[in-house]
Amino acid sequence: MATPTASRWSMPPERAVLLSRVINIVALLGLIGVLAGSLHLQFGVGEQPCPLCIVQRSGMVGLAVGPIMNLLWGMSPRHYALSILAAVVGAAGSTRQILLHIADPADPGYGPAVFGWHLYTWALVTFIVAVVGCALLIMWQAPFQAGDRGVLHDVHPLRPLVAGLIVWLSLLVIIWVFIDLAVIGVYILPECGLGECPDDPANTAGLAEPLGWIAVLSAGVVSAIIALVLERRWRSRQASGA
Amino acid sequence: MFLMFVVWLVVFVGIFRGWRWTPILALANLGYTLLVLRIHMTDPIPLNF
Repeated sequence: MATPTASRWSMPPERAVLLSRVINIVALLGLIGVLAGSLHLQFGVGEQPCPLCIVQRSGMVGLAVGPIMNLLWGMSPRHYALSILAAVVGAAGSTRQILLHIADPADPGYGPAVFGWHLYTWALVTFIVAVVGCALLIMWQAPFQAGDRGVLHDVHPLRPLVAGLIVWLSLLVIIWVFIDLAVIGVYILPECGLGECPDDPANTAGLAEPLGWIAVLSAGVVSAIIALVLERRWRSRQASGA
Repeated sequence: MFLMFVVWLVVFVGIFRGWRWTPILALANLGYTLLVLRIHMTDPIPLNF
C-alpha cells in the first residue's frame, strides 16, 4: 500500500502551528469584541443583562476556553471540541430567547437592536460560526502533528521578533478575556446576589458615550501592559536558557 | 448564576497553572450553565412544531 506523500498544499509543521495560533488569536479577538459590545450595553447604555443573556455570556466565556488552551497548552482537537460544546450550550440560550420573542409578533424583543438584530440573535450567529470554524480547524491535521506545547514552550523557536509578537498577542487576548470575565462575574452580584437573577432587571443610568466605550476598552490597555511585562519576563527566561 | 462565573475563573487559573483536570471542570460548568438555563425556562412558548 502506498504511503501518503506530502502534497504541494502541505505546510511545514512549524508554519501550520504559527498559522493556527494566529487564527486562535483572531478568534479570541472576535469574542472580545462580542463581550465588549455587551459590556458597553451594560455600563455605557445602562441595559442590565437578563438571566438568558447571562447564560449566553457563560457560553461565550466557555467558547474562549478552547483557543486559550490551544495557545497555552498546544494545539489539540480536544480543545476545539470543548469550544464546540460551549457553543452548543450558548446557542441553546440564544435560541430559547429568540423563540420567546418571535412567538408574539407584537413583541419588540429584549434590549436595543444592533444593525437590525437583537444581541441574542447575533449571539446565535456567533455560536454557529464558532461551531463551523472549530469543525473546519479539527479537519486540518497538520498543527496537531507538530508536537506543539504552547506559545511559552516552543520546540522550534521562530525568529525572536515574530515569536515575541505571538507571545505578546496571545497573552494580551487571554488576559483581556480574563478581565472581561472578572468584570461580568463581579457585576452579577449587585443585580442577582448569590441566587437567581430577576427575569426583567431594572436598567441603570449608564456612563453614556464615549465614557462607556473608554471604560470597556481600558481593559484592553491594562491587558496590553500586563502582557508586555509577562512577555519581557518570558524573553529573559528564553535568553538565560531556563 | 454568580457561581457559574466563579467556576470559569477557576478554569482560567487552571489553564494558566497547567492543571490537567481543567477540561473536566469546564465541561461540568457547561452542564451547570444548561441547568441554569432550564431553571429559567419558565414561560411557555406557543409554537406549533
